This record gives sequence, structure tokens and C-alpha cells, in this order.
Amino acid sequence: MAAQLPNVQLATPAPPPLPSLVNARRLRNQRLSRALRLWVPAGILIFILALCFLWPLVYKLPSPTNGNILYNNEPPFSPGHLLGTNVQGVDEFSDIVYGGQVSFEISVAVTLIGIAIGCTLGVTAGYLGGWLDAVISRIFDILIAFPALVLALVISVGLGPSEPHLILALSVFGIPTLGRVSRAITLSLRSLPFMTAARLAGTSRWRVIVRHILPNIMPVIVTFSLLGIGIIIILEGALDFLGYGIQAPEASWGNMIAAGQQIMTAQPEFIIIPSIALLITVVSLNMLGDALRERWGVV
Amino acid sequence: MALVQQIQLQSGGPGARLMGARRVTGSPALRMVGRRLLAAIPVLIGVTFLTFAVMSILPNDTARTILGLNASPSAVAALNHTLGLDQPFWVQYWHWLDNAVHGNLGTSLEGLSVSHELATRVPTTLLLLAYALVVSTLLAIIMATLAARRPNGIMDRISLAVSMLSLSIAPYAFALLLIIVFSVKLGWFPVLSGPVTGVGSFFRNLTLPAASIGAGLFAIYTRILRADLVDQMTREDYIVTAKAKGVEPWRVLIKHALRNSSYTLITVIGLNLGALVGAAAIIETIFQVQGIGNDLLTGVSDHDLPLIEGITLVFALITVLGNLLADLAYAVLDPRIRYGSSTS
Amino acid sequence: MSDALLEVEDLRVAFAVGGREIRAVDGIGYTVEPGRTLAIIGESGSGKTVGCRAIMGLLPTGTAISGSARLRGTEMIGLSDSELRKHRGQDMAMVFQDPARSLNPTMRVGVQVTEAIQTHRKVSKKEAYDQAVELLRLVRIPVPDRRFHEYPHQLSGGMRQRIMIAMALACRPKLLIADEATTALDVTTQAQIMELMLELQQELDMGLILISHDLGLAASYADDVVVMYAGKIVEQAPAKTLFGTGGTVKMRYTRALLDAIPHLERPAHTQLPVVSGRPPDPANLPPGCSFAPRCPSAADDCRQTMPALVEHAAGHRWACWHPCENGVHA
Repeated sequence: MAAQLPNVQLATPAPPPLPSLVNARRLRNQRLSRALRLWVPAGILIFILALCFLWPLVYKLPSPTNGNILYNNEPPFSPGHLLGTNVQGVDEFSDIVYGGQVSFEISVAVTLIGIAIGCTLGVTAGYLGGWLDAVISRIFDILIAFPALVLALVISVGLGPSEPHLILALSVFGIPTLGRVSRAITLSLRSLPFMTAARLAGTSRWRVIVRHILPNIMPVIVTFSLLGIGIIIILEGALDFLGYGIQAPEASWGNMIAAGQQIMTAQPEFIIIPSIALLITVVSLNMLGDALRERWGVV
Repeated sequence: MALVQQIQLQSGGPGARLMGARRVTGSPALRMVGRRLLAAIPVLIGVTFLTFAVMSILPNDTARTILGLNASPSAVAALNHTLGLDQPFWVQYWHWLDNAVHGNLGTSLEGLSVSHELATRVPTTLLLLAYALVVSTLLAIIMATLAARRPNGIMDRISLAVSMLSLSIAPYAFALLLIIVFSVKLGWFPVLSGPVTGVGSFFRNLTLPAASIGAGLFAIYTRILRADLVDQMTREDYIVTAKAKGVEPWRVLIKHALRNSSYTLITVIGLNLGALVGAAAIIETIFQVQGIGNDLLTGVSDHDLPLIEGITLVFALITVLGNLLADLAYAVLDPRIRYGSSTS
Repeated sequence: MSDALLEVEDLRVAFAVGGREIRAVDGIGYTVEPGRTLAIIGESGSGKTVGCRAIMGLLPTGTAISGSARLRGTEMIGLSDSELRKHRGQDMAMVFQDPARSLNPTMRVGVQVTEAIQTHRKVSKKEAYDQAVELLRLVRIPVPDRRFHEYPHQLSGGMRQRIMIAMALACRPKLLIADEATTALDVTTQAQIMELMLELQQELDMGLILISHDLGLAASYADDVVVMYAGKIVEQAPAKTLFGTGGTVKMRYTRALLDAIPHLERPAHTQLPVVSGRPPDPANLPPGCSFAPRCPSAADDCRQTMPALVEHAAGHRWACWHPCENGVHA
């Protein structure tokens, strides 16, 4: 028989509130900063792209190659010359804009080629395995063992500097890099149970690749590519800087920096301006890549 | 080989003596080294062959360059024949390879012995690379540890910002900016590098170049190490055990998490050596460091095949050996690999 | 009551996940006396581990903890981490579930033990070494001076767990918490480790808390039992009251757990009575009794109001509107 105890509560009272845990404000801040980290770099990139490609269509910019020697060394904010002019009278601003066009054209082209060829090879190697994998991996290894610069340099010097040649030269770097990543992911995916299930269900190899592997590879490839575009812009700039890429007087950021090197003691701004343009572009690309990585849960 | 001695030394250490670690001949580490060295050879051959092929296929006119534009066709043909340039490139490559294995890397177009040229200039490049590597690794460890101590804290945010900037800046732009600030305005370092003859000249001449190269490395190392440290601290059970023992947080971070994260770091260092070498070439040009990177660029514009081949070989060797050393360090340092499985 | 080792009162622990508050532990209380063993039994997600980790201060920052847990009179809840650190390992220690993951794989096991010693005692390296070897001997590891230098992956599961116990006992704590310490081991080793822990408990006059999902473990080794479900204690009694002949289990849940233990005496091919359903989602607890959705004798009042944990019989508390009578379903 139950002993009668005083103060028997038979129902549990409502639980007391705990010290404030779910700080709504902190949560909002977190979400805000996450959104900012994605959209601010994206916005900057869109702005830069618009500036480089759309603005010249709207507003007639002075030629980046032929400057008016009468107006050389104008300071920034002079009438008609937002960033001033350089030693030869070339407008700095249009130099930057047209240089940007080149940088983006080349880097995006190289990345797209890298995705098209590199991913195809990489996924094939990873999925089919066997001797095909061995051969392709070995080729990737050799290409990657090359310092990126050397091969690009050799090709560009050999073929003569021009935009298409640069694209070719840099693709030799882009293809194995993306290829290795695709292969690695394909390999890791291949061992997952759902892949075995698909194969057991009789799904054709092609369908497996398209419907299972590609969607899973996409996030990594996109984020890698964004980082890759940044690297290629820098690399292309390096070639221009050395004089083996886009030749002066054609506009390119690397050229501008090289030209600025001549007068860097007296007028450092000619190095600083294109360097900042480079920096902002690459930082935005990297930040965007990081933010997407975070959002998509890519490792 | 020093490597073998090192492994033997490990085997003879106090722990190993008691535990009877595998004898050197059976050591999995040594076997792996051997395997990787063998695997590296085709890569080296591939790289040098590819360079040869590309350089030969692309339009060039070496003999005319040497003799001058007004040389007669017969003189050009004669020189081509002497230099062996009229043979198909694979034959030329075979000759080169044959010579190379015997230690003869040929003569550059300027008449200098390639081996000699390399021997005098490789050390400088290696010093530069080592400087950049060591300093950026140390700084990265410090920064990543401070950041991981309080994830999303102030140090963490600073480290993320700094590494993002370092990662994104072009090495050549950074080099010039450094020159503007530290050489021109402040006068701490010379604009152009002189020869490295001693400790003083080492720091004076190589600091700015090393900083230009090291910035990007520092960024990569910091980011990866910080991510790994935070991962260890939040996800691993042995960290909870250490905390349960009452170990204080810094010690947990450094003696437990960092120790285990260092393996990732070693791998990353090894993998990134290839990029290092490329950046070094440009930086050497800017600062006029008397290393092989500088030579490479002049060689390419002169189409100096023997010189380029020799330098490419060295670059590829550095990359491949670097990877190998990283793997080896991993195998030797990680007790899970060194001391196989259970003896009980 | 006054020389109790550990007194826990109204302990609550909550996490914030995705903007919502999850109450992992919702008002539990128990007492542990020196030399006695308390078993905390529950399914995964019942809050049994979280409660003890809260006392030790091992939960991630950002967790809300309220209530009281007094270790030998000193309040643990609300202490800063640096203060708690002085008690961790020294007055209270924990042994974890998977020794393969709970030991640092790149550190020699002996060093991990000396670390436990040197964190709290100022002793020379040699002295620490000697003490560690002694500890290894204490936990019945053969050739302790050799094993000292080995790495965790070189030892068997049972040995690793012994190392964990040695680490936990390094500073002779008064309270030892074994969090599913034997779950990852095979049956024979389980028995060995349990016997070891009990012997050491007697030798060192420690209080022992066994956290487990295995009621059989509680039946064999515990003095007092606490059964948890969805963050609350649903039944609490000395082991003798619950198990064995004359035992009276009042809670359906406990009953179900007991029934689910396979017995040799059962006729072959009888279906094992398994508790249907799954543990509730802590973010979405049903109103009323948390067990109601799975309880065979749930009634309307069960689903509407949560029963309180009340000491209905001497030393035996339960929280149920319709408890079992005489060990049989009502």
C-alpha cells in the first residue's frame, strides 16, 4: 500500500524557462552575415563584369592602346579621365576596363575547357577504372608535375602571344586540375551504396553518370572553378607581366603592372591601380567560392 | 642514404627497442619509398619528354637566332646539323636522356655547361624556397592555432580575412608592393637581390622574395590547418577524454589536436610544392635573384633547349621529391603507420 | 543524505538547434553514495549521457544548464570551465564508450595516463611514470612497463578500455562515471571490465555511475537504478526492489525493457517482446506522458497530462498514471 507522503503532486508542473538559449538576434545576425558573404562578392563580380563588358558599349571610352601624348600623366579625377592617364597618355580607366575584358575572357574560356575536357576525362577515369584510369591519371600526374608557368610559357613563346594561344597554354594547367578533382569525387561516389543499387537495377552506365554522378559533382566543380578562375587570372597576368602574354600596347592588367614597374619609385600608383583591380576581382571570386562551398556543404 | 640511417635510428629508439618495431628491410616505410621512387621515374621522363616535344614542335629557329638574321641558309643548315637539330625530336630526346643519365646535361646555347650552370644556381633557388616554406609554415601554425582556440572569435575572423587577402593577391603584384614599401620608402631591403654569401646577406636579399612567395602558401596552410583543428576539437572523442581528465584548453589544442592535424598539413605542403616552384621563377625575375627560375625565363625566350630541359628536370624533381618526402614524413611520424598493428 | 557523494537536483539541459530549443534533460534528480553503484538506463536520446556530461562540464559552449549537482557538497553547475577543470579527473572522472576513438591515436598510452596524473599533481616525470605503471598494474594490464610505450592501435579493445579506466583513476577520484563503457566490447571482455570496475570501486571506495541501455547490466551490477525516457526520470528504485524475485517494476517502459532481455528459460522460437515505435523527437515531444504513443496501456489522461515522478512506495519512485501491478500488465 502506497505510503501517504505530504505534498503529492501527481502532475508535472510546467517546466521553468532555461537561461536564454535561442538568442533570436544572434541567429538573425548569423544568417545575415552568411547571406552577405555570398551576395557581396557576387555583387562585386557582377559589377566588375558589367563595368568591363557593358559599360564600353554604353559610354565611349578612350582607346586603351593609343594615348594622346599631350595629355600624359594627368592625375586621377581629371576631366574625361577618371583614373588619370599614364606616361603615354593612355587613359588608366579604360586600360583597366579593357584589361579586365581580356582577363575574364581568357580565364573563363580556360575554365570551361577545363570542365569540358577535364571533367569528362576525370569522370571516365574514375568510373571506368582499369587501364583507362591508369593512363589518364598518369597523364594528369605528368601535367601537374609541370610547374604551371613553364608549360604555359613554352607554348606561348613558341606559338606567339595572342589570346587564343594563351587560352591553349593555360588549358594545359586547367584540364588536369579539374580532371583530378572530378576523378577523386567519382571514385568516392562509386563506392556508395546508392551507386551499387543503381547498377543492380540495370541502369545503363550513361544514365548513371548523368543522373547520379554529375549532379553530385556539380557543387564541387562549381566552387573549384570559381577559385580556379582566380588562379588563372593571376597566372595569365603573370605571363603578361613577363612579356610573354598579351603584348603591350594591348591592354591587360599584367602589362600595366609591368609598365608600372619601370616607374615605381616615382609613381607607384601605376602599379597600385591594376594590382587593386586584380585583388578585388580575385578576392570576390574566392569569397564567392567559399560562400557557395558553405551553402552547398562541399568539403 | 641518410634516409635509411634515419629509419634505423628510429628503430633503435627507446620505444622501438622495447616494442621491437619492424626491422629496416621489412619496414613498410622503406618499401613505400622505393615504390614511389620507381613511380616517379616515368613522371620525370614524361615531363622532360613533353617539354622537348612541345619545344620542338612549336615553330622555332634556333640556329638562325644564334647566327643572326642575315646568316646564309647553308650556314644555318650546317649549324642545325652540328647541333643535331635536324633530327626528329624523339631522337634528339633520346640523346639528351642518354647523356643525362650519365650526368651530362649538355651545353646551353651560350656555350656554358648546363650542369655547371645548375649547380651554381640551384642552391640559391633552394634557399629561397626553403625560406619561404619554413616561415610560412611556422606563421600558419601560429595563426591557425590562435584561430582554432576560439572558433568564430576575433582571432579566427582576423585569420580568415588575412588569409583570404594573402590567397588572392598575385605574387608579382605583392612583390612590387613590398618593394615600394620596404625598399623604396623605408629602405630596409635592397630592390634587387645580391648574391647570398652569409647570414646577413641571406636575410637582406631573400626576405622580400621569400615573403612574396610565402604569402600564398601561408594562406593555404592557415586555412587548411585551422579547418582541421576545429574539426578535431569539435568532432573527435579523444579530445573529450582529454578535457575529462582536466587538461587545460591550450594543451588540448596543441598537444592533442595539433599533433593529429600536422599530418594533414604535411600532405598539403607536399602537394603544393609544384605551385611553389612556378611562383619562384617569376619572383626571381623581379628581384633578379641568381637562381634557376631566372635562367628559365631567359632560356625560354632564347629557345635554349638544353638549358630549359635541365631546369625543367630540376623543377620536376623538386616537385616529385617534395611529394615523396611529405609521404615519407607521414609514414615515419604517424605511429599508426610506423608501428603496424597490434602485437598483443 | 549529508555525506552523499553526488546529489543531483532538478537538472535541466537544453540545446539550441536550428533556432529551436531542445530539452535533452528535463528535471532529473538522484543521489550517489560512496561505495554504491547507480545505473542510469535509457535508450539513445533519453538524455542519460547528456546529464552526466553536464555535471562534468563536457558539453559544448552554448548549452543551457540549470539545476544543481553537488559533488561532496560543492556545487558543479554554474562553475566556470577553469574551476571545473580542477574537479575533472581529480574528484570525478569518466570512462567513455569507444576506447578506439577515445584515446589519442598518436600518443603513447602511458603518456596519456601520465598526462592525467601531471594535470593535477606536481610530480617529476619519473614519478609520474612510476605512478602510471602502477595504475596499469592496478587495471590488470600485464607487463605494464612495456605496454606504457605502446600506441592505442597496438592494443586490443579490452586493454584500451583498461587504459581508459587507468586514466580515469589516476588521481583517485571519488566518483567514476562509466558512459556505456562496455557497449563496444565483446561479451566476455564486458564481464571482465565490469568486474574490474567493481573491484576498483570497492578498493577505492568510489561512487560509480553506470550509464547504459542494457537493463541486464543494471540488474547484475547496480545498487540503485534510474530509468530515463525523453529527458525525464520515469522510474527510480534500488535494484533489489526492481529485479529478481519479489521485484516490482511499476513502469511500462521498464517492464518492456526487462521483457526484451532474452532469457535462456524462454521456450525456443517465442517472439521477443520488443517496444514498438521509436524514441520521440526531443524537439517535438507529445503533450502528456512522453511514452504514451508507445505504451500498450495508454489512456486518455496519459496523453493529456504528464505524470510527475512521485515516491509512491518506500524508496521507489515512478511517474505513471497506470503503472503495472505485480509485475504484470494491467
